[in-house]
Amino acid sequence: MKVSGTRLRSTAMLRYGPESSADLLMKLIEALEILRTEPPADARTFQVCLVSGFNPLHFQTFLTARICQMFPKRRPEIIGGLYGDIWGNLKRVAEANADVCVVLMEFADFDPRLGIRGLGSWGPEALTDILHNAEMRSEQFLEAIRTLCKNMPVVISFPTLPLQPVSFTQGWQASSFDLELRAIVSSLSLEASRCSNVRVINPERLDQLSPPTNRFNVKSELVSGFPYGLPHASAIAELMSRAIQPPMPKKGLITDLDDTLWSGILGEVGVDGVSWDLDRRSHMHGVYQRLLHALSETGILIAAASKNATEIVDEALAREDLLMPRSALFPVEAHWGPKSQSVSRILEAWNIGSDSVVFIDDSPMELAEVKAAHPEVECILFPKDDPQAIDGLLYRLRDLFGKAAVSEEDSIRRESIRRLRVREEQIESGQGTADDFLRQSEAELTLSFSKDPLEPRALELVNKTNQFNLNGKRYTEASWQKYINQTDTVFMLAAYRDKYGPLGKIAVLAGRKMHREISLTMWVMSCRAFSRRIEHRCLRELFERYDVDQIEFDFQCTSKNRPIQDFLAEVLGESPTSQCKLSRKQFMERPTETFQRVLQAANG
Amino acid sequence: MDDTQARLVRCFSAVFPSLSREDVLQASTTNVKAWDSVASVTLFAMIEEEYGIEVDVEDLAEMVSFERILAYLRKSNVRKEKQ
Repeated sequence: MKVSGTRLRSTAMLRYGPESSADLLMKLIEALEILRTEPPADARTFQVCLVSGFNPLHFQTFLTARICQMFPKRRPEIIGGLYGDIWGNLKRVAEANADVCVVLMEFADFDPRLGIRGLGSWGPEALTDILHNAEMRSEQFLEAIRTLCKNMPVVISFPTLPLQPVSFTQGWQASSFDLELRAIVSSLSLEASRCSNVRVINPERLDQLSPPTNRFNVKSELVSGFPYGLPHASAIAELMSRAIQPPMPKKGLITDLDDTLWSGILGEVGVDGVSWDLDRRSHMHGVYQRLLHALSETGILIAAASKNATEIVDEALAREDLLMPRSALFPVEAHWGPKSQSVSRILEAWNIGSDSVVFIDDSPMELAEVKAAHPEVECILFPKDDPQAIDGLLYRLRDLFGKAAVSEEDSIRRESIRRLRVREEQIESGQGTADDFLRQSEAELTLSFSKDPLEPRALELVNKTNQFNLNGKRYTEASWQKYINQTDTVFMLAAYRDKYGPLGKIAVLAGRKMHREISLTMWVMSCRAFSRRIEHRCLRELFERYDVDQIEFDFQCTSKNRPIQDFLAEVLGESPTSQCKLSRKQFMERPTETFQRVLQAANG
Repeated sequence: MDDTQARLVRCFSAVFPSLSREDVLQASTTNVKAWDSVASVTLFAMIEEEYGIEVDVEDLAEMVSFERILAYLRKSNVRKEKQ
């Protein structure tokens, strides 16, 4: 008997910080206990095709437990395959219509001689043949994945186990065989990651969670055909579950300035005294600025909240050597009032929920004050004296704000919010009415009804919009695709622009058409598009394009959808209820002047 | 019930959720229908993880009941302390 006792929690803590790592790795007993909890009797299944060349045994347990945690109202159902036949398994699931396909590849799947069970030769003459097989398998795999991802999202983990000592070189020297084999796998992962609907597990993140030397459990491989040590299986399941259903990214970051965006207290050292460079040992503030700038370039809203005099902050933010340019910050709240009030004003300007926002400050007291007033804001301490911890913070921020792709809307979000704010301020100060602004804004609403190809922005809007959201329902990629593809589903995506610039794609409507009625099950609109009467225009277009007499709304009241409640109350003449209906006659009898020119998108 | 026994009961309950606490104490491969090869692999993987030990393959054949596994763990702990 040997005492192993290796635990990975402490390793994970180093990289992730104490906030997120404590429960990162699940133990087998915890996974089984989660599986004992029965989902509701009417729970829909969540089908997962699990493809591997080995017996997925405990990995399957961990993955199922993670899915139970992610989707408590769904009943996970794993569709497995045959032992040792990853290629056959890939073919068998190709026609399945599951919610997701999870693929675990190991070196032995490229050639059995690369595994411990295959006893084929490792002689020098065999190496070329192994590489040849690996090339062939790689092409075969890519073809299979390209077919598979048309039906469902695919999450892939490429080889994670150490390569057996196949080559003739000493272990400390990388052999050309090893490097070539890894190049084949690396090129395959790159090509797979480029397929839409495919997500590849980040090997570097897996290294942080599961040290390579602890991954392979030889005894388990020989006894049960399951090659992973439990912590490794748990780590892969953890990362794969996140790839299956990534947490919704945060939308806005509010940063403190002194000793956070830069080193030094502006009021004490002056505009030229604050720094973010190596010479003054303040370089990590520059690194933080660089990340914030990069986030802003991907559509994340960045604002500043600082206890300072406005004038000196304006002067400091005008410094040309700032890596986070002034234009990327909106709004900037610089005054001596409480930061919680600054946060309130910023949230109002952004018009987003506080649960989508992160607040960063070097003062625990300021964090506590903001947290008390805005409990849903994620408050993070800026560890100004600890470069290592600041480095860790960068990873955490990427996790909080990361997204799979950057869309056109991401690049115009900040500017459109800024313009909206200016317009509101002009109206508030009596420079024209809302109608005056709309009338002269030269607005265009471009409508698209095409379901093929399905615009990815539509699902993004559905899953991130809270305020103008008919019922708060969220969809996975697979369930959304299934729903939209049904023949009686009607779908409308609206994009808006006016003479001040584009807002991009801002509204999605989807429902079922039955005779002369549409049952609207999904309606979301970005908060940036409020106050333009786009919602009125969308309803009118639905009535006219589909020539229906009535629209039924699958309305559900949520804690956040007050804007759509108010709108429906306005057109219905009473508070909306579940399955409330609006007749065409009723809608047309009370016309609301809209000011957009309506165009149809080129793709229909 | 000491800590070793209590933790083992938890392991058994996780693998055989239909067994009552009393059933667990009496459990063996002969009287628990669900105790097949997959359950065995799961049970011993969990025991290894929970107790931070590695069970030798040769010893597996002997561990056919709750009682025997408990005895094995107690013996192992004694051995561990001596190391």
